Formats: sequence, C-alpha cells, structure tokens
Amino acid sequence: MKLFIREQLPLALIYILQLLVILLIYRLDGHTDWKISLYACLLSSCLFGGYLVYRYITNRSFYQKLTTPLSSLNDLKFSPQDAPLPESLEQFQKELIRHYKMDIYNYKHKLDHHIQFINQWVHQMKTPLSVIHLMVQDRDDEFSQSVKDELDRLKKGLEMVLYTARLDTFDRDFYAETLDLSELVKKVTSSQKRLFIRNRIYPELAIEKGSSITSDEKWVSFLITQLITNAVRYTEIPGEKVVFRSFIQDGKTGLEVIDHGVGIPKSDLPRVFDPYFTGENGRHFQESTGMGLFIAKQICDRLGHRISIDSVSGSGTTVRILF
Amino acid sequence: MLKIFIVEDDTRLVELLENFLQKYGFITYAVKNFDAVTADFQAFDPHIVLLDINLPKFDGFYWCRQIRVVSTCPVLFVSAREGKMDQVMALENGADDYITKPFDYEIVLAKINSLLRRAYGTYASNQNGRNINVHNLILDVERLCISYGEQQAELSYTEAKILDELMRKSEHVVSRDRLLEKIWDDQTFVDDNTLNVYVTRVRKKLAQLKITNAIQTVRGQGYRLMPNWSSR
Repeated sequence: MKLFIREQLPLALIYILQLLVILLIYRLDGHTDWKISLYACLLSSCLFGGYLVYRYITNRSFYQKLTTPLSSLNDLKFSPQDAPLPESLEQFQKELIRHYKMDIYNYKHKLDHHIQFINQWVHQMKTPLSVIHLMVQDRDDEFSQSVKDELDRLKKGLEMVLYTARLDTFDRDFYAETLDLSELVKKVTSSQKRLFIRNRIYPELAIEKGSSITSDEKWVSFLITQLITNAVRYTEIPGEKVVFRSFIQDGKTGLEVIDHGVGIPKSDLPRVFDPYFTGENGRHFQESTGMGLFIAKQICDRLGHRISIDSVSGSGTTVRILF
Repeated sequence: MLKIFIVEDDTRLVELLENFLQKYGFITYAVKNFDAVTADFQAFDPHIVLLDINLPKFDGFYWCRQIRVVSTCPVLFVSAREGKMDQVMALENGADDYITKPFDYEIVLAKINSLLRRAYGTYASNQNGRNINVHNLILDVERLCISYGEQQAELSYTEAKILDELMRKSEHVVSRDRLLEKIWDDQTFVDDNTLNVYVTRVRKKLAQLKITNAIQTVRGQGYRLMPNWSSR
C-alpha cells in the first residue's frame, strides 16, 4: 500500500495542480460561480479516485510482491493479475531466471568436470607413487628413508586434494555404519606408523572397550589422520605420547586426541578452523597449510559430529570429537 | 611352478612386480596387448591374475567378467581407487580380493599366497612355506621356528619378524626405524624400549642354538646380523 501511495503521489499532485490551473483560467475568464466549479472538481476527483482504486486493485499482488522480502529464488514466481505492468515484470523475471539458471548450470558443469579431473589426476599420480614406493621399499639406507618420508608427504598431499574435492559431492560419497572406535583408531595409527616412528612419538590408546560410533569409516579415518599429523608435527620432544581417549558426553561417544606439543596461542584459538589460517605456529613450523583443521571441521559438520579444540600454549593441545 | 598373469598398463610397475614375484619362484606373464586380454589369458593358463582397473580400451571390471566366463581362477585387483564402491564393484564382477596403490610387496605376496591356498589347497602351500637360509641357519617364517643343524627353537611372531628382517639383510645394518615399522602390527605399537627387549629375546633364542654375538648393535644406526657361526 505504501509503495502504491508513493508511486501515485506525483500523479495526484499533478492532478491537483491541473485542477487549480483550470479553475484559475475559468476564474480569469469571468466565471464567478464557485459552486459549479467545486462541483466539477468533485466529479473529476471522484473519477480520479476511482481510477486510483481500480489501479490499486488490479495491481495489488504486484505491489505486495515488490514489498515482501525474498527468501529464495522460487519466491519470485507469482500469479500475475491481468495488468500490463505485472505481466511484463513476470516476463522479465522469467528471462532473468532463465539466464541465471543457464549460468549456474554452466558453472556446475564446469565444477563437476573439474572435480572429475582432479579425481582422475590423483589416481593417475598414485601409479608413479607406487612405482617409487616399490623401488625404495627394500632399501634401508639414509637416502631411501628420506625418499620414503617424501613419499609419505606426497601421499598425504594427494589424499588431501582428493578429500577436499570430494567434500562437494559429499552426499554421493557417504556410507554410515557402526564402527568399533578402538579398532578404527588402531587401524589409523598403524597406517601412520612411519610418521610416528620417524618422529619418535608414540600413540597411547585409552579407549573404552566396546565403544562404538556411527559414521563413515573412510571420512573418519581421514579426519583422525589429520589430527595425528598435527599432533605429531607440533610435538617437538622425542619420546612424547599422543593419547587417544574415549569419553561419553550427553549419552554420545567422543574421542579425544591429546598431544603434549607446543600448543596454540590463546589469540589464535578462535580462528583455527578457518581456511588457510596458520597463526603463530605457522610461522615457526614449515608445513602448516592451515587446511588440516579446516577440512576436519568441514567433515565433522557434514557427518554431524562436533569438534572442539582446547589448548594451553606450551603444554599441549586436545582435540575433541563428539560422534 | 605357479603362474601369475599380470594385467597392468604401467610398464615400470609391471617390471618391479615381475622381478619381485620371480624371486619367490612364480612364473609371470605381463599383458602387452590390451585388446585381447582373454586370448592371452587362455594361452598362458595362469593360477592367479593380478588386474588393474584403469586400463586402455576396457577397464579391469570388464576383463574380470570376461575371464570369469572361461575360468574360476583367483583374481586379485590392484588399483589406485580406494572407494568402497570400487571394491564392491570389483567383488561383484568376480574378483577375489582387492589391493590399493601404493602397496607393499609383502601385502601383494601375502594376498597372492592366501588366494592360492584357498583355491588350490595344500598343493600350493608347500610352495609358499617361506624359508630363509643363512649359512644353514634356517628360519621358517610360517611355522615360527628357527633351526641350526640339530637344534631348534620356537619363536614368537614378533621375534620371527625381527629375525626375518635381519636374516634377509644379513651382514647389512638394519635400521631401528625399519625394525620398528616391521614389528608394529595392527594390534600393538612398539616403542624403542620394547624393541630392545625383543632383540634381547632374539639373542637368547639364538643362544639356544649355540649362536652368540651374531646380532651386533650398531650405535646410532641399528642392528646387524653377522654369520659368525659359519666359520666354526
């Protein structure tokens, strides 16, 4: 209604001005009977008022539409009344939406292609990786050890690429089942044994027997691998332990990964889940990409798990996941 | 002699696999022409097939189905794809097992042996009783025992793994890292102290065979097995 009044106000003003001009001309011409003039004004105003009412009624839905805020693209559709303005607006909108949809479709197509390409590329890279892996596998000199370390890093990098690309198609790549937490952690720590051994840091499992969680094995394994990588990377003292402990909160099972490493400065804590955020530690440790915890958080959000992080600078970090 | 049929398009990987498997007494055949895999298969008539998924022309699933039409021989997939669906697809297309790249030699060998045992029974298991012989000191990896002349000693699984590694590289230093990695199985993780304990136990077992001071500690590097018993 307000919009309608605002829109028609200039017209009304012009109309009144027009009336006054006409009255004035008649007056100057010598017509002195103001009653007739007034009557003419009244009749004319009635017609004008009638026109406004008719305008408002025929275009009501159009004005209402314009004043209610949009919540989604589908809200754009409305059944137009038979008036030229709403009709052409609807036509215009249809065109607009069509163009947008085309654009979005094109981008989606491109993105799908890109993800597919990355998937394929990562898998292609795994064959040369296997070859190098096999070539150095039976050697045990300093050189081969370094090559193996670098291979592990490459493998981790590729995995990271693969999983980041997959995040977007999460719904197609997800299979929930009941998992034994202790078995799962054992499997993951064992797959990271070279990392542990090279850094002389060892896992300690304190997981309640029979703790089970419902989740996707592949994603949770990747998640825990990220946490292990962080825990080992930021623990500088050989012989330290990374503790995996289960706990129960609100009837749900959780996993704590506790390290006694350098910790995270308090000022950095609120931002550790932001992408590319490396903070204070990133300046001291080479390999910080700021992606590990970001992806961990993304995975948790999608799996419906809660992740939180606690740290005291200088004495260690605890990451908690509530499944 | 057991025959292994390898379908993999990366020549370097094939070369390494063939070298490794031939060392363990298998006869291998690597497919060169990926248009007619089944023809090669029938001509070679293998005991087991190693099959990649990503291949030129048709994928591994297709060839697995083709092989299944003519044979029930065990098929082991070796692929970079590690998704659950790929593994399910492989098994549904007639595969018997699945390994993801990058893989360890030992895992390939273990899976091949287990498939052969299942498919051909005891006939195959004789072949695979893995013995290591260093100057008449014989380690039976499968039966977990070690013998020298008349004497014999039983070993624990971990002790056997340590000796396996030391004997295969006798006279060379085996690093602590490598030993730790080898004996770290899925159930337990092993720290440096535990490794020391195990090495002490292995030395005692050797002492039962009247072999002493054969395992030397190389400071800062690892351990070395010197066959000092051979000169006696």
